[in-house]
Amino acid sequence: MEQSAKTVNQHSITFALLYGATYLPTVWLLKHRVLSQPVSVMITVIPIITFAIFIYKLIKAFSVMDEVKQRVQLEAVVIGFSLTAMLITLLFLLSLCGISNSTWFGYGYLLGYCWIFYFIGWFISRKKYGV
Amino acid sequence: MKNTIKVERAKKNWTQADLAKHIGISRQGLNSIETGKFIPSTVLALRMAKVFNTTVEVLFQLDDTDS
Repeated sequence: MEQSAKTVNQHSITFALLYGATYLPTVWLLKHRVLSQPVSVMITVIPIITFAIFIYKLIKAFSVMDEVKQRVQLEAVVIGFSLTAMLITLLFLLSLCGISNSTWFGYGYLLGYCWIFYFIGWFISRKKYGV
Repeated sequence: MKNTIKVERAKKNWTQADLAKHIGISRQGLNSIETGKFIPSTVLALRMAKVFNTTVEVLFQLDDTDS
């Protein structure tokens, strides 16, 4: 069981790296408009596919974790989701006031903040349960 | 919730890693349960009682704040 949990964890890390390896070059290619628009649109699908596989592997990894680690992950996701929702709400309300800053709060940055919030939640929860 | 896991572990002369292996959780996870930071599920509590050849009531008791 320990070995299979380790293997499943390694798979999720591998696919996280694969997602990063497809996402960053895709951003670069699309930002610099190297390719034609139809090809660019097709390329946008690649990181989505690798992300979907990564999430699938991550959920599989959660299922083989012991219950303490599952609780840590659950709390990390809840904290990460809540903070992201709060940020998006704040940005939406500010945009209604005519205040928006797409330089620091564009879609790409929101994705980054979402991951940062997840890791903040993970850190808090790990501290709480001492794991 | 208080528990006597440490006492039962000492009786068997087991480390946290030994017990964790017997009940199929990580050592850190067991430490979290032993120190009262995490309340285990019924299944895990029963599994723990089984390896110590005792009952869940011996391993876990409600303290004044729980009742």
